[in-house]
Amino acid sequence: MIFNEIFSVYYSTVSCIITAALKGKLTDREIMEIIRENAFEESLLTIMPSLKNGRWQLLKKDNSTPLYHSPEIPLSNMEKRWLNAIAADRRIQLFGVEIPTFPDVPPLFTSEDYRIFDSYGDGDNYSDPLYISNFRTVLKAIQEQAPLKIHMISRSGEVMCKKVMPHHLEYSEKDDKFRLITTGGHYETVINMGRVLYCERYRGDFVIYPAQPQDKLRCAELEIQDERNALERVMLHFAHFEKQAEKTGENTYRMKVFYDKDDETEMVIRVLSFGPFVKATGPDRFTTLVIDRLKQQKAMGLHRQK
Amino acid sequence: MAYKELIKNFQHVRDYMRRFYIYGFKSRSEYDGKSGRSYDDERRRIESWLKDYMGFRNTDEGKNVFISIDSRRQPHNPLYKAMKARSFTDRDITLHFIIFDILYRPSDAFTLAELMDRINDIYLADFSQPVTFDESTLRKKLKEYIALGMVIAEKQGRNVLYRRSESYDLTGLADVLDYFSEIAPCGVIGSFMLDKTPPHRDNFTFKHHYITQAMDSQVLYRLFGAISRRRKVEITFTSRGSSRAHTGQVTPLKIFISCQNGRQYLMAADSKGIISAYRLDYILSVRETITDEDFAGLRTHLNEMEKYIWGANVRPDSKTEKVTFTVDFTEDEEFIWRRLVREKRCGTVTLISPGRAQFTATVYDSREMIPWIRSFICRISHIEFENKELQASFLQDIEDMYRMYGLEE
Repeated sequence: MIFNEIFSVYYSTVSCIITAALKGKLTDREIMEIIRENAFEESLLTIMPSLKNGRWQLLKKDNSTPLYHSPEIPLSNMEKRWLNAIAADRRIQLFGVEIPTFPDVPPLFTSEDYRIFDSYGDGDNYSDPLYISNFRTVLKAIQEQAPLKIHMISRSGEVMCKKVMPHHLEYSEKDDKFRLITTGGHYETVINMGRVLYCERYRGDFVIYPAQPQDKLRCAELEIQDERNALERVMLHFAHFEKQAEKTGENTYRMKVFYDKDDETEMVIRVLSFGPFVKATGPDRFTTLVIDRLKQQKAMGLHRQK
Repeated sequence: MAYKELIKNFQHVRDYMRRFYIYGFKSRSEYDGKSGRSYDDERRRIESWLKDYMGFRNTDEGKNVFISIDSRRQPHNPLYKAMKARSFTDRDITLHFIIFDILYRPSDAFTLAELMDRINDIYLADFSQPVTFDESTLRKKLKEYIALGMVIAEKQGRNVLYRRSESYDLTGLADVLDYFSEIAPCGVIGSFMLDKTPPHRDNFTFKHHYITQAMDSQVLYRLFGAISRRRKVEITFTSRGSSRAHTGQVTPLKIFISCQNGRQYLMAADSKGIISAYRLDYILSVRETITDEDFAGLRTHLNEMEKYIWGANVRPDSKTEKVTFTVDFTEDEEFIWRRLVREKRCGTVTLISPGRAQFTATVYDSREMIPWIRSFICRISHIEFENKELQASFLQDIEDMYRMYGLEE
């Protein structure tokens, strides 16, 4: 059911072509442009001739369409069931919008049907009215690209005020937290939504500085020993990063993982979590961070428990 | 058969995509059991769908193909594209758009004959060689849409009238769909709806975001369907390190999802009521069978068991193992205490003295905890596994790590 042609890229591309055809004279070049923008790399080779030679009888010779309306396809039961499910999610209230619900179909799932078992226990409080109000103010400012004045608690516990240009919200499922990514200052800044006390639209003059190039991406080089299914575990664990892997021996692999420098400590911890099956091999700065932790551990004498 | 960009069955390409995305270091010759032609076609297809994320590397063994995606920089899961590549016939697409054009308003209702007349006399009249549809083709297509909930059939006297089900304007839901299509189970369904909304600014990105789950959407959707109907299922699945498929009848109870490695598990009971975890990426097919009258009892049992499940592993004999360890931290390292508290799951954390915290948990499988415990390396002052074999293995691993980095005595 999920894998169904009515949800396909081809159908949605043809829908765009019909809409464009209804708006006025459509050239072949414009059709090709729509296909390039909406479909896959090689779709042009199929969609264009199928429409032009009348295999799909939706465009006439002059590129007009026999249809009368811009395609509007009703929601399927599957889509309605999914909407019913997310309408019951505690985070939906953050958005302040009316979600259509469909009493004729059951939700696809409920909170009883699944469990995310390893997210952290100190996630944002989505039922706090103040959090909800701040979230909505921030989201509206992002949508309208308007500056904000944010009163917040800093990492050191002090109350502070910042004027920022909100860019987007970043959500981490592991942390179960939203972070506001801002621009307009010399550097991109990150504000934990959970630390925001109050925020409002800033009406004063707001100087936007040109963004400075930030060299935030770092690379860790790792050597993997494929024992106890380590290879699969490592590959899955680091799957969400940009990475390169290659086989170097019968059971050994080399991998480069690119990560944000702000997450270096997390990266060190993640490498250590694989024990002797993953070795940090470079660069020296990263390897030193791993070795320092092992030295400290050794000094604690745990191995003498053996 | 000539190469086509679209496919009829997702299972085959699902396997390739996983290999390209997760491993990405295998050469053409290493794809066991697959013909070269099959490999070339699947690679070409995936490249067509995901060109911007595909990479190639030449090695001694040949050319390696991989998919590399930094999901933090992608507001939308690129792998969803593969779920939108289902093949169809010329008649399918032509009828699809014409039917919903005729049934444009929910109040527009027509009989089969009226629909036939309109299609032939109005929509196809200007084509030099109009496609011919017989009534049975049209009836079959309408039946499909009725099953999907998109068309409603109503009896009026001796006639059956067809009309569309109601449409909803999704424009105001763009942010909701952007967000939940990435973080909710079966998020690809949200992505289908996003395709029906006008272009808009992307206001969300996602950190620690595992996108491989997209490839298991169809399996997950079927399992949720069976769970909501309290039905048993027949699943066909493989296991790690083996491509041999097994079939079993189980009662699906709950889906366990890891946000730290992207794995999803089906927690299901077999005919004896024994609950086990099945990895979704190893499940090839799901077929609903009969209602399980014991569903409520089995789920209550699973809920009770959750107090002792660290990840997804359970034991048929319900035997548990205790794990205790202490970590040390200084006055200005309070964050370690906070880390323990937020990451403890079913365990308990106590401050046994200033700067020393103790973690304790009783679980079915303490092996599952080891990667997490290792993440405290540099602070672990004592550790005690009830499973002594595991204790020895843990301590040996630590020594091996010292040796690996040249820190041995």
